[in-house]
Amino acid sequence: MPVSRPTLVIRTAVLTLLAAGVAAAAVGFTVLRSGWYDIGATTQHLSSVYKLLEQGMQYSVRHHAMEVVTPPLGQAEALRGAPLYRDNCAQCHGGPGVATAAHGMSMQPVPGPLVDASRRWRPREIFWITRHGIKMSGMPAWEYHLNEAETWAIVAFINRMQDMSARDYRTLTASPPVRAGDQQEAR
Amino acid sequence: MKTPHLFLATLAACLLLAGCDTRRAPGIEGDPDRGKVALAQYACRSCHVVPGVTGSDTMVGRPLDGLGQRKFIAGSLPNNQANLVRWIRNPQSVDPESAMPAMGVTEQDALDISAYLLTLE
Repeated sequence: MPVSRPTLVIRTAVLTLLAAGVAAAAVGFTVLRSGWYDIGATTQHLSSVYKLLEQGMQYSVRHHAMEVVTPPLGQAEALRGAPLYRDNCAQCHGGPGVATAAHGMSMQPVPGPLVDASRRWRPREIFWITRHGIKMSGMPAWEYHLNEAETWAIVAFINRMQDMSARDYRTLTASPPVRAGDQQEAR
Repeated sequence: MKTPHLFLATLAACLLLAGCDTRRAPGIEGDPDRGKVALAQYACRSCHVVPGVTGSDTMVGRPLDGLGQRKFIAGSLPNNQANLVRWIRNPQSVDPESAMPAMGVTEQDALDISAYLLTLE
């Protein structure tokens, strides 16, 4: 029995798509399994790979932070956040006029400064990132190491960093060290 | 038939070198290819957009494209390699209130980094 023309067209289309899918999977598997992509942190990501990972990270943070309720964040919280930021964050993120430690410099992706964080993220998103960390980026989760009030204090401080000079930062972070978890707020 | 082989070998070597080496700006010391890697390892790219180095869009520090063409750096220093090395290694020696931190860059690394930055046109 001769095959009708529409059936032939559909059959050809389906087989072509299948073949293309199998070929793409084979190429993907070969690239993955060969180890050709350099995982070392002294070489740069391909620009397209970097952009894709960064975009995905931003969408994920925005989505997951939607349910976080932001408390009022004032001067008092920011002041409380200053020594916490200095002791827990500045090692990788630095501050105005203050360098990161060596391990914060040479990571890939580089942790980067947070003086512009409030232009990129809402407070609840900075809170979510700090609390939960980011997989495969080196950003640790602080949920079990800083309580909620301490984390919000850090968010309040980060929010004010865009208006800080190097001198302001030095002054604000000059207070004595605070041990994380010292404050008694509920987690 | 030695000559054609030699010619082909030289041609191949030239092509290979052209593929790998960033062209050094005239009169500049240091290794620009090494500098390009070094500047990522000192996190320069976290605040500065640098052509040829992957990273996020950032405006924390000024973008460094066209640095080789700039007349002044840091607002006041004439743009030459010695001044650029000084600025990279110790910004506070030029401007005590600069928000750019001293990243502990060694003399050799700063020389190589400046060699790369000065190729940017």
